[in-house]
Amino acid sequence: MTAPTAKQKHRNRPLTPAELDRFGEELDALRARTVATLGQRDADYIRTIVKAVRYMGVAGRALLFAGAILGSTLLPALFWPGCIAGTLLLALAKIMENMELGHNVMHGQYDWMRDPHLDGKTYEWDIAGTSDNWRKTHNYKHHTYTNVRGMDDDIGYGLLRIFPEQRWRPFYLVQPVVAVVFALLFEWGVAIQDLKVGRWLAGKTTHAQMRKALRPVARKMGRQVVKDYIVFPLLAGPFFLPVLLGNVVANVLRNLWTYMIIFCGHFTADAETFPKESVRNESRGHWYLRQLRGSSNIAGGRLLNVMSGNLSHQIEHHFYPDVPANRYSQMAIEVREICARYGQHYNTGSLPKQFGEVIWRIVRHAWPSRPRKLAPLVRQEA
Amino acid sequence: MNAAVTRPRPPRAARARSPLSLLHRWVAPDVFDFWATRLHPTWTWDRPLARIVDRQAQSRDAVTLLLQPNRHWRGFRPGQHVNLGVEIDGVRMTRSYSLSDAPRADGRIAVTVKHIEGGRMSRHLCQDARIGDVVDLGQAFGEMTWPQGAEDAWLFLAGGSGITPLMSLLRAHAANGMPTALTLLYWARNRDELCFVDELRALAQRFPQFTVHFVLTREREPAEGEHSGRIGSEMLSVLVPDLEQRAVYACGPGGFVDSARTLVASNARSFSAEAFTPPPASIDAEAGGHVEVTLAASGRTLSVPRGQSLLTALEDQGLKLASGCRMGICNTCACGKVSGTTRHLHTGDAIGEPVSALRLCVNAAASDLVLDL
Repeated sequence: MTAPTAKQKHRNRPLTPAELDRFGEELDALRARTVATLGQRDADYIRTIVKAVRYMGVAGRALLFAGAILGSTLLPALFWPGCIAGTLLLALAKIMENMELGHNVMHGQYDWMRDPHLDGKTYEWDIAGTSDNWRKTHNYKHHTYTNVRGMDDDIGYGLLRIFPEQRWRPFYLVQPVVAVVFALLFEWGVAIQDLKVGRWLAGKTTHAQMRKALRPVARKMGRQVVKDYIVFPLLAGPFFLPVLLGNVVANVLRNLWTYMIIFCGHFTADAETFPKESVRNESRGHWYLRQLRGSSNIAGGRLLNVMSGNLSHQIEHHFYPDVPANRYSQMAIEVREICARYGQHYNTGSLPKQFGEVIWRIVRHAWPSRPRKLAPLVRQEA
Repeated sequence: MNAAVTRPRPPRAARARSPLSLLHRWVAPDVFDFWATRLHPTWTWDRPLARIVDRQAQSRDAVTLLLQPNRHWRGFRPGQHVNLGVEIDGVRMTRSYSLSDAPRADGRIAVTVKHIEGGRMSRHLCQDARIGDVVDLGQAFGEMTWPQGAEDAWLFLAGGSGITPLMSLLRAHAANGMPTALTLLYWARNRDELCFVDELRALAQRFPQFTVHFVLTREREPAEGEHSGRIGSEMLSVLVPDLEQRAVYACGPGGFVDSARTLVASNARSFSAEAFTPPPASIDAEAGGHVEVTLAASGRTLSVPRGQSLLTALEDQGLKLASGCRMGICNTCACGKVSGTTRHLHTGDAIGEPVSALRLCVNAAASDLVLDL
């Protein structure tokens, strides 16, 4: 029995193939209009972000040192304020570097500037995972095959059951706990995502292949560990412990924040997944529609936009992954209007609402569940 | 060419074994450059940059910029060119310029830039660039330098801004006491477009073995020591009677260099030339039509006209590609070709093999192509 659930909301009108083509053309035209006006103000924007990242990072580390060293010796009153403020500032710098700077630069959003330090193909970010793996798992796989089951490794990261279409196994009963651990260690999870440890453990890849794939990953991980957990703490001499803990906490705060933002992007209640057949001979309009149905925005102000790397505009980001993210909020006005005209639901909501839906999915689909019937994307006859 | 370029720094392989190698692995150049440039605008980890330290009007429409390169620039030989990069409206533009001075003791280098109508880069350098501005600087390139084996006598043919690399060669020659005879024929349209006039006349007075002739194509009344008309065999036989004993370097616009080659190449001891303007915009005009160019890395497929410079054709489609000289020398625009046939716009040679570095500016599509872009 597939009794239609009361929760099912038919908010998406199936489009005819002709409508789908026009939908795609309108979104392409918006892209062309935006790209034509890229210039100095976008260059200034990303350079301001670079500046903010650098100064906040240095200020955070300086405060942490001041709190740890002075707070342990001359000025005990400085210990907690210095360590806490330093850690928070360092976390903010890392979040902004990973999201608004690194993620967006690696998409090639600022390649048109031809600045070698903002080159999408060579940029290396301050996180455990290598940029090269990210460019493959994220830029290519996730963005091309967004929410396509079996092709987009980001669906539950091979660890969580987010959608009822994923086959249930008893292991998923503990996923509410697994999800929390995964959030705390998010950067390490992303770092090893492309190693496909599961396939290796199952004997599907050889040890030699694994060793080869592991080498650059281990080098990058080692570099991050040495930098944040050895070199910087040792610079504080005998007062290394607060500095070490400050670095750990800053990295964990970054992990939690990025996890929350990223999960809100594709795992909210209305986000859909798609079968492999959906991408066969896919038209431009269909690709746009699939990106729309698989993505969700977070409503908030400018601060949320910057601190989420503009992934608060996940829909616009998936439509236009290589358009500078500082343009998304402006493009969103038209995107929303286009979606409304074509009867397509524009999935957005506050951070508590969207993340609440994510948590509900993680808890709900830990238990066996059945896919609900979804409205088709395309109407067959005109 | 690399063997003879002056190189104050050891090559990369040698540096890697130095005690600095550990540091090299741990420093992020972008972070280093960010903080170092707060202290001094051209301090970088490994990028060559230069600061404009002086600018002087050279003629009605040309300025000479004096640049102070940072330590990452490896020097040049007279007659070579460099790529300069500046940011205009957020976009870094790169163009090639010839170095007009001989190498100087203070390490500074000079480029003479002629304002080209409609040229954004030349307008920026001629009008907007200020002392203190920082520009990107590429390593020197170019083969028209003083050869190792000495020639007995030289003839330089300069067309317009083609004077700049020849000026560098001439100054180096003069610094060595002008060891061999040298005649310079220097064409411009009008008198006020001529550069380095006083210096050239002074050199001619100082060295009897150096002769300079200014040739003006649009000036009505040539003054003392000036000639008029385009390059031709009659003019050459009068001004350079001993042509067959001279080695010839010619530099200027494409049409000028082509004429010079036709007139001189078979009569002179040797002939080398560099053309400044891009090659003919297209060949195979009769073949016509469009071909599909697939950009493998970005997954796009574009339709471009057969026979047109690939760089121009792709730029016309809105791509912002790295480019420099736009005449097949500096290799900045080169990218891998996976498959398809291209035709070289200078030589007309067709290449059907995959190549690792196809210079987009001087190659046109002759069939459907797949490029690593």
